[in-house]
Amino acid sequence: MATNPMQQFSVHRIGPEIKLAGIDLSFTNASLFMAISAISIFVLFFLGTKEKKIIPSKIQLISEIFYNFIAKMISDTAGSKAKPYFPFIFCLFTFVLFCNMIGMIPYSFTVTSHIIVTLLLAVFIFIAVTVIGFIKHGFGYLKLFVPSGVPALLLPLITVIEIISYLSRPVSLSVRLFANMMAGHTMLKVFGGFVISLGLLGGWLPLSFSVALTGLEILVAFLQAYVFAILTCIYLNDALNLHH
Amino acid sequence: MDYFKDFKTRLKIAKSKLKNSSQDESEKNGSFMGFAFKLGTELVAAVIVGTIFGFILDSWFDTKPWFIIIFFFLGSAAGILNVIKTANRMQNKD
Repeated sequence: MATNPMQQFSVHRIGPEIKLAGIDLSFTNASLFMAISAISIFVLFFLGTKEKKIIPSKIQLISEIFYNFIAKMISDTAGSKAKPYFPFIFCLFTFVLFCNMIGMIPYSFTVTSHIIVTLLLAVFIFIAVTVIGFIKHGFGYLKLFVPSGVPALLLPLITVIEIISYLSRPVSLSVRLFANMMAGHTMLKVFGGFVISLGLLGGWLPLSFSVALTGLEILVAFLQAYVFAILTCIYLNDALNLHH
Repeated sequence: MDYFKDFKTRLKIAKSKLKNSSQDESEKNGSFMGFAFKLGTELVAAVIVGTIFGFILDSWFDTKPWFIIIFFFLGSAAGILNVIKTANRMQNKD
């Protein structure tokens, strides 16, 4: 049994080694769990939308709740202009949520506890939002960095600060998800280790802790997916409705 | 089919209810918790970005410590700005 609490995050190859132009493209356990979450999302929504009954079955109800939840979130934070981006935000939310939740199953692997995964998602959102902003407003989008009502002497300083603040978006978006998932899973593993080392006499206290932590982790898994999606909506809102 | 007869009127009532209803309490708590999680990383991320910016500029112009020092402070200012923006957004939501 692995006693190292960081061992659960190791990525290892499954199947043959695939190398393309010097880049390792082998199928790993990370890709496996990404595929599992993508497939389970597909299956859930395929079954949920197959029969469109007026009185919904349980699985149809779940997919309707998902739809309403995201639609409400988008209209609340980004307004009606953001409706065309519904599919993107829906995919993003369900993918992050399923990766987090499948990671909560024992012996599975949490894809979102790797910063490269979350950073890729965040950088993609960042670039997409910037491109959308420039398409919608042209060079007027640069007004985002020049707040009105600032004395001319302070303007260069404020502009640099605003640019740093804008560039920090993908970093904070990715680090938040990655750090929460990794810290939570490490903590679960450490408490699990305490149960083993304290044995039958003293192991009950850490065991109850780890039961409570599992509940907390499920909350965090949902909340982080929600925060990830709602921040995407807020950034989209900044790009679509430019006002400072 | 008694069920479908008054379906349209019931749909109308449900729609008007949806318009009038505000977010219920538990939903509000959830989003506030989300914002609370946001605040901490927001501060740190801007400092990291500022420092990396300074580091890159330093290695470009070969002025070792100066740009890092300047951009560290600018990054901290940007972090505080981020937190203020988030806090404003939280207050407007009420």
